[in-house]
Formats: sequence, structure tokens, C-alpha cells
Amino acid sequence: MTLEELKGRFSDPTPAELQLIADYAALPEDARRARAFEAFAETGLPHRRLEAWKWTDFRQALPTIEPGARSPSTPVTPPEDASVFRFDGQAWHVPETLPEGLRVIEAHEGQAYGNAEALPLGALAAALSGKAQKTNALQIEVTGPVETPVFLDYGAAGRETAFSRISFVVREDAGLDVIESHSGGAGFSASVIEFSLGKSARVSRTLAQTATRDEATGITANVHLDERASYTQTALAMGAKVARIETRLTYGGEEAQATMNAAYLASDGYHVDFTSHVRHDAQSCVTRQLTKGAVSDGGRGVFQGKFMVPRVSGQYTDADMQHQALLLEDGAEIFAKPELEIYADDVECAHGNTSGQLDESALFYMRQRGLPYEEARALLTEAFIAEALETSHASVREAFKDLSRQFLRKQGQD
Amino acid sequence: MLKIDNLTARVGEGEEAKTIIKGLSLDVPAGEVHAIMGPNGAGKSTLSYILTGRDGYEVTDGGASLNGEDLLDMEPEERAAKGVFLSFQYPVEIPGVPVMTFVRAAMNAQRKARGEEEISAPDFIKKAREVGAKLKIDAEMLKRPVNVGFSGGEKKRLEIFQMMMLEPHLAILDETDSGLDIDALKTVADGVNALRSPDRAMLVITHYQRLLDHIQPDKVHVLAKGRIIKSGGPELAERLEKEGYDGILGEVA
Repeated sequence: MTLEELKGRFSDPTPAELQLIADYAALPEDARRARAFEAFAETGLPHRRLEAWKWTDFRQALPTIEPGARSPSTPVTPPEDASVFRFDGQAWHVPETLPEGLRVIEAHEGQAYGNAEALPLGALAAALSGKAQKTNALQIEVTGPVETPVFLDYGAAGRETAFSRISFVVREDAGLDVIESHSGGAGFSASVIEFSLGKSARVSRTLAQTATRDEATGITANVHLDERASYTQTALAMGAKVARIETRLTYGGEEAQATMNAAYLASDGYHVDFTSHVRHDAQSCVTRQLTKGAVSDGGRGVFQGKFMVPRVSGQYTDADMQHQALLLEDGAEIFAKPELEIYADDVECAHGNTSGQLDESALFYMRQRGLPYEEARALLTEAFIAEALETSHASVREAFKDLSRQFLRKQGQD
Repeated sequence: MLKIDNLTARVGEGEEAKTIIKGLSLDVPAGEVHAIMGPNGAGKSTLSYILTGRDGYEVTDGGASLNGEDLLDMEPEERAAKGVFLSFQYPVEIPGVPVMTFVRAAMNAQRKARGEEEISAPDFIKKAREVGAKLKIDAEMLKRPVNVGFSGGEKKRLEIFQMMMLEPHLAILDETDSGLDIDALKTVADGVNALRSPDRAMLVITHYQRLLDHIQPDKVHVLAKGRIIKSGGPELAERLEKEGYDGILGEVA
């Protein structure tokens, strides 16, 4: 397709979209990436007129694509025994030696991207991640239980864009811990991570995200679970000008289970969006989801969660979704939409959604003991979100605490 | 030490505002323990909150000072660093924050405000063990989040634990006896008595005589309708116990 034909697919493209079109046109042709790009073209940069994006408007936040300011410091550092895969904004850098059970798959054509129509940022990242020139797409096979963690270090200081894709095929009974550090740096970054878990496979994914308030960031995960597979996801996000961390999980085999925990901390000028879609397409699967957030004046938090339980395949589902948020100051904004769509009749599904303020009497009690207001507030908030981070990889738990402390202390100085 | 002069204060705003403390004067010199007794609604807890700086109270006249420094101008944490401690009538739960973490953070915040060195972790743990042993508080309790799931008696013991750790100059005990059984009352009173010292003043707010059997006050004041209406020695508390507040109130009126 020519550049002009591509442009014709978009309705009234913005300068940012025109640049993305040019970026895509410069890549060699590939039928699968082309399908992903066509899916992206359906919406263009997602915007508020799309129901799923009504609170997170990338088109408005990103009229043009500018180089990112200097990258903030890496939110978490790799544990000593980790295999570090670094993505510098253009290409993946694969470690020279890989632990037993881990193998990079050499493939020369693109992979199909599932659910592309529902995931415009994921589709965009997939469309712009190919193997021909730069290796910004990686496929990794996990053949057995891997003892040491894989650390994905995303950072693209000063670049305009950073698109990447990484896919893990986790075979039967295999297992892996993945830690992701997203430190931003590019004006616009979109990454896709995919996990396909075979029978009784296990994945634990821990993610930390930071960025400046000039960047736009999309982190999309597609997860597929076969019979008795188990998946745990724990994320801590500080947001960006606009940041969306989206997970689409499908149960494809019975008695699989997933835990999805997240915490967001949004200060002035930061927007964090956690969106998830869990489809119980196999019987007797268990989902536990807890999202906690704290937002200060000028910050925005978004939580959208959906459990889809079909009539026959979703029977005996056990699923629970909780979102709890703290408005730390006047001027903080939180938008939440927890959704259960249940057609099966023998299920246990629950959801809860609360937002409130810090307990004034607890604050006074702490100050009476000598803690300054900011310190008291930081301790209370840290304790509030801690529950959602208990499932994170042990090696980053302290770093997670430091991140939340920095956020809250910084608030006090503003 | 503590000097309260013609203190007048109200709670609430606009038309809802209600004057609760009406020209209250009181001196508690260093080294002394004073008891404040009075019927419900007399303003006892309000007085403790005004002295410690809780929001929602407006001082319309008079003042309060500690060692000559105006207390009412300071933030609650500044008063704490100056040595003001309130043992709460209803201690507040702080989910997710373990007692040890909390007390150490408080102690170091106070020290920092006073320009002193922070306490080292080993010194802190040693002190916490010693104080805990005196109050029959075991290490397990100190690892739990502050007051979460504590019984009424445990909460009060934890207040005294914090007081003994922080070693304030002015300790205000607001109905510390409520919720305590006889044994716990004795333990708490022993803790309070151990803190009696020539450079420390205490204000013990209570409904009943029974705490004062264990903590001998130097003076007893009767607070009613927002003012001290009668002051005396320990015998005044005994008289109140026999005659009730009505007797004293009638006599003053």
C-alpha cells in the first residue's frame, strides 16, 4: 500500500498520526503487521469518543510527536541473577547467555496479533515491531521452569517514539518470573507483551512504570492461559502525560487462575489508566484482581475492569474485582468503571469500588506523636497501596516502597 | 510548665458554633500530677484536643503556654516535639503501619525537629523491649499494625507504651482508665508512676476515682460547663466519689 493509500484509511489524521503512518510505510511489507496496522487505522490514536477510551485520550494528549525530555531514572534495578533484555527504543538487546529453559525463537516473519481491533495501542506497537531491520520484536520460548528472573529494561531517552513487542510461549509445566522496568524517555512509547501459557505453566509478571509528564505511554499485555495455568501480575505505575496499562486475559483451559494486582500514584500533571479485560472462556477458572490508587491535586487515575463470563464456557467461574482509591487532595480525579458481564448461572463473581480520603483522625493521631503532616500522609498512603504490591517479585519490593515514598514526599514539597 | 489562662474556645462553624470552654484557667507546675474530673460534656476531651492542636476548635479568648511558649500557635507535630503527649480516649487504628515502625518514625521526627540525632535501630529495639516488658506488651504485639484488632485494654496499654518511649514533658491522659480491667489498670498506673519526675507535668482526665487510687494526684480540679469550678487536694476526688458531681455543682452554684 502506498503512503497516500495508507493516509486514506484514517479519517482526518493528526500530525502525530501522519508521522506514525510514515513510520509504518518505511518498514518492509508484512501481511501480519499490515493487519495490525489496519486495525489501528480503524480508530487512529484512541480518543474520548471511543467508549473504552473516554477517560484516556491519546489523540488529544499527543497532537504531534516530540522527542522525550531526559529519561527519568530507572524505577527498579535488575536483581543480580536476572537475565536482562534491554529495549533502547529501537531494538532489543538480548543477553549473551540465557538460563536453562529459555530460548529466543528465530523467525523471519511477523506474528499475528490477537484482539487487535480492541487494542489500538497494542495493534500499533505490533504493526511497528518487525524483525527485518531492527529487532524490536522478540519471541521467546520457555521450555521448563526457569529459576532466575527475566528483566525487561525499557528506556528510550530522548527519542520521539519507541515501539516494541515481546512474546513468551510458555510450554506445559514451564514457569517464569518476568520483571519489567518502564522508564519512558520517548515522546510516545507503545509496547506489547504477550504470554501464552500451556498446561500447568506459571508466569509471574511484575511491572514498574515511570515517565515525565510530557510523554505518552501505552503498555499492552495479551495473556492466554491453558488448563491449570497460573498467572500473577503486579504493577506499580506513576503515569505520564497520558499512560495506559492494559491487560487482556483469556482463559482457554479449565481450572486456570490469575491474580492481577496494581497500584497507581498520580501527582500533578500525571494520568494513569489501568484497564483490563478478563474473558472466562473455560470452566472453573479463578480470577483475583485488586487495584489501589492514590491521586493528588492535578493528577488523574483511571480504572476500568471487565470480567466477561460466557453462558456455557464460563460455568463455575470464581472471580473478584476490587478497586480502592484515595483522593489525597482537592483537585485529584479518579474515574472507575468496574464491569461484570455474566451469562453463566453457576458462578461466584463479585466486585467492589471505593474512593475516599485519608482518615483525618488517623492523621491527627500520627501528628500528635510528632510526625509532620506530609510524613503521616506518606506512611498512610504507602500502607494503603502496599496490599496490592504484596505479590510483586521479592527482589523489587523494596524498590516499590522507595518509589511510593518518593512520590509522597515530593508531594509535600510541591 | 503548663499554663492555661482564661481559655475560651468553640467547636463547629457559623450558626452551629458552640462555645465549650468558657474562660478556663489552670497551672500545672513541673513535677506535679493534676487530675481533671467532671461530668460528661463538661469539656474534658475538648480541652485535651485544644492543647494538642486538633482541627475543628477555635480559640476565641485566652491562651495556653508550655514553659512560656505559646502552644496554640504551633502545629500538632511541633507541640509533640516540644514534649506534649496525649494518651487518646479512643486510640486510632492505623492499618498497615506496624507499631515499631510508627513509634520509631515518631521518635525520630521529634528528635529531628529538636535538632537531635536519630535513635539507632538497635538502641530503639532495646528500649522498646524494656518498656514493653514493664507494660506486659510482647514483641508480637509490637509487630502488628497500630491499634488494629487490639482490645480496648491493649489500645490503652499501647498509648502508655508510646508515652514511655517518647518521654514527654507534658503528658495528658484522657480517660486512660476506661476499658481497662483491674490488672491492666494497675499495669498502666505503674507505667505512669514510673514516669513521674521533677521535670515532667501530667494532666490526668478521668470520670472516676479509681484511677486516682493508683496515680496519686497533687491536685484535683473539677471541670464543669467549660470552667474549673473547684480545685483541691486528693480528698476532693474522694468527696466527688461519695457525693457525685451534683453535690459539688450545687454548692458552687
